[in-house]
Amino acid sequence: MTETRDGKAASDMLAVDFCGMDFATPLVLLSGCVGFGEEYTRVAGFSNRDVGAVCLKGTTLEPRLGNPPHRVCETPMGMLNAIGLQNPGVRHVVEEILPGLDFSETRFIANVSGSTVEEYAEVTRIFDDSPIDAIEINISCPNVKEGGVAFGNDPDMSARVVEVCRAATRKPLITKLSPNQTDIAENARRCIEAGTDAFAVINTLMGMAIDIESRTPVIGNNQGGLSGPAIKPVALLKVHQVYQVCRGHGIPIIGQGGVASAEDALEFLIAGASAVGVGTALFYDPLVCPRINEGIRAYLQRHGLSEVGQLTGTLVLND
Amino acid sequence: MKHRASIFVEEAAILSHEACPGEQYILRLQAPRTAARARAGAFVHLQCDALLPMRRPLSIMRADAGAGWIELLYRVVGAGTRRLAQRRPGERLSVLGPIGRPFTLHDSHPRPLLIGGGVGIPPMIFLAQEIHQKNHRKLPGRTQPWHPLLLAGSETPFPFKPRPSQILIPSLPPEVIAAIPLMEDWGIPSRLASGQGFPGCHDGYVTELARLWLAALDETALAEVEIFACGPHPMLAACARLAREFGRPCQVSLEEFMACAVGGCAGCTVAVRTPRGPAMQRVCVDGPVFDAETVFR
Ligand SMILES: Cc1cc2nc3c(=O)[nH]c(=O)nc-3n(C[C@H](O)[C@H](O)[C@H](O)COP(=O)(O)OP(=O)(O)OC[C@H]3O[C@@H](n4cnc5c(N)ncnc54)[C@H](O)[C@@H]3O)c2cc1C
Ligand SMILES: Cc1cc2nc3c(=O)[nH]c(=O)nc-3n(C[C@H](O)[C@H](O)[C@H](O)COP(=O)(O)O)c2cc1C
Ligand code: FES
Repeated sequence: MTETRDGKAASDMLAVDFCGMDFATPLVLLSGCVGFGEEYTRVAGFSNRDVGAVCLKGTTLEPRLGNPPHRVCETPMGMLNAIGLQNPGVRHVVEEILPGLDFSETRFIANVSGSTVEEYAEVTRIFDDSPIDAIEINISCPNVKEGGVAFGNDPDMSARVVEVCRAATRKPLITKLSPNQTDIAENARRCIEAGTDAFAVINTLMGMAIDIESRTPVIGNNQGGLSGPAIKPVALLKVHQVYQVCRGHGIPIIGQGGVASAEDALEFLIAGASAVGVGTALFYDPLVCPRINEGIRAYLQRHGLSEVGQLTGTLVLND
Repeated sequence: MKHRASIFVEEAAILSHEACPGEQYILRLQAPRTAARARAGAFVHLQCDALLPMRRPLSIMRADAGAGWIELLYRVVGAGTRRLAQRRPGERLSVLGPIGRPFTLHDSHPRPLLIGGGVGIPPMIFLAQEIHQKNHRKLPGRTQPWHPLLLAGSETPFPFKPRPSQILIPSLPPEVIAAIPLMEDWGIPSRLASGQGFPGCHDGYVTELARLWLAALDETALAEVEIFACGPHPMLAACARLAREFGRPCQVSLEEFMACAVGGCAGCTVAVRTPRGPAMQRVCVDGPVFDAETVFR
């Protein structure tokens, strides 16, 4: 095992303490991209051990069938999705799926959605009574009729959801913020007051693709969430803005949106993220995470840094 | 549930890339791990070009586990396939495969009827290859236990040069004699259909040929039939109707837009009926092959 100048093992350089959870690396597999945690183990060479945490698919109180096809389509350097929160319901997840997950490999984070404030609270309470490591509340899903982004765009509603979920769990609570709002920093401030432990920034941007022959939207749900490299600049700015609010409170951020390389991940860390999400990039390269880890490690060594946390928020703004 | 490492990422060298009529291409790739595990009905998820953010799913048409190659047949329809068509032998493509639940042959149904439409023909070629290999595996006391028929339809020119068949099929019109050369080489009867008036082809839908053939079978032979189909949605719906009418089981291979192709995103689902009620199942890993009865009604 290689050692850095201050004697730290190279594998530890990537370790991150995130809200008291030990992440083996700063990478987090993002909600909706890896099912309920095991789907990608079909791919030879893929391992959940390569990431610090895995966010499970958005989960609601009752099962949901989700949206009609098409649910995904390619767009310039990205994709649209409108899955519609297809999931088997929180009880099934807790009783049938969590017992099958190997918690020695990584940390598993639940992703909670709802149509009412009460539903968010109830799903959170059920996850609280489970082995899940942390709870991410998705107040930014653009693909369901009620709830989701409707809560996330309104700071009062966002704070309400955080408050009731906070009351329902003692596990680390991560609030996933929407980029589809006017003042993300103000929203973040309110969520911190309401008791969030961390943020995930950002969820997808709302978008549309049109089939010019049929003159209909390509996506069955008409509109969908845009992800992938196309949204990276937007995501970086949002992380930077939310970090200005968080830094004084010691509230960490999972930066995300279009990360596909070590360079992308480093940009997010420098902008203020403590961990970095990888979603859409997996679809192109299922083995991208070990390569990102390698690239971050090489960068740290090149810059004489002993741990990845030293990079967080080191952005130097131009005068 | 733990899924085993059954899908591989391979940097596959292009061995050959043949242009066929109708903007169709046959692509042979050196992908030994995929070739070793490939089954008829399975597909690969391909990086067509570094500038496109998503992969494209294409069925495996043939695989040679010994030589380590797989062969695909595709038609240029948009940006991905257009860029793929520009790739040259010697270049490498990232292949993710083999993916999906394949077709299942049942010993109780040794008269498989294979129906392929357009770029749905490739998995039928692969299934015919599997049947051919089963027939030629040396089993003491048993010769040629499988009696397949392959029917293919296309509105663009076929990607192979049809050949007059040497194999007689008494229940089909005598003027319908165009066959797939590879099937002739394997001794498997095949016939073609098209609305474009191609010589030797049935002038109409491929399912019309299927009906003629099914209707002429005696009860014992009919009971041995299982239908396997891949092609455009209306063709699959017609196959499902035929299967119901003749009381035969039918497996269909479906298509849907995909993102991950390994079961992670739920982007590729179709509505199916299950014993526990309606469900949305993923074409990539729950399919692409489904029981027609659960999808069409
Ligand atoms: C399991 C499976 C097996 C397939 N096998 C074959 C095959 O053997 N030969 C062949 O020619 N085609 C096959 N297809 C269809 C092929 O994937 C599409 O024609 C191709 O993705 C079109 O990409 P494009 O960029 O050229 O077209 P565009 O229309 O520009 O594609 C835009 C987007 O839509 C998606 N898309 C468009 N049409 C389809 C489609 N029919 N199915 C899935 N996604 C689509 C593309 O993946 C892409 O993300 C298969 C599809 C599936 C799901
Ligand atoms: C197919 C798909 C499904 C998603 N489902 C969810 C979800 O259920 N809950 C959620 O909070 N975010 C969901 N997201 C958003 C991602 O978790 C992530 O925030 C976003 O895609 C940006 O990151 P990326 O560009 O790396 O994919 C989904 C994204 C995609 C592409
Ligand atoms: S394409 Fe992602 S689940 Fe099928």
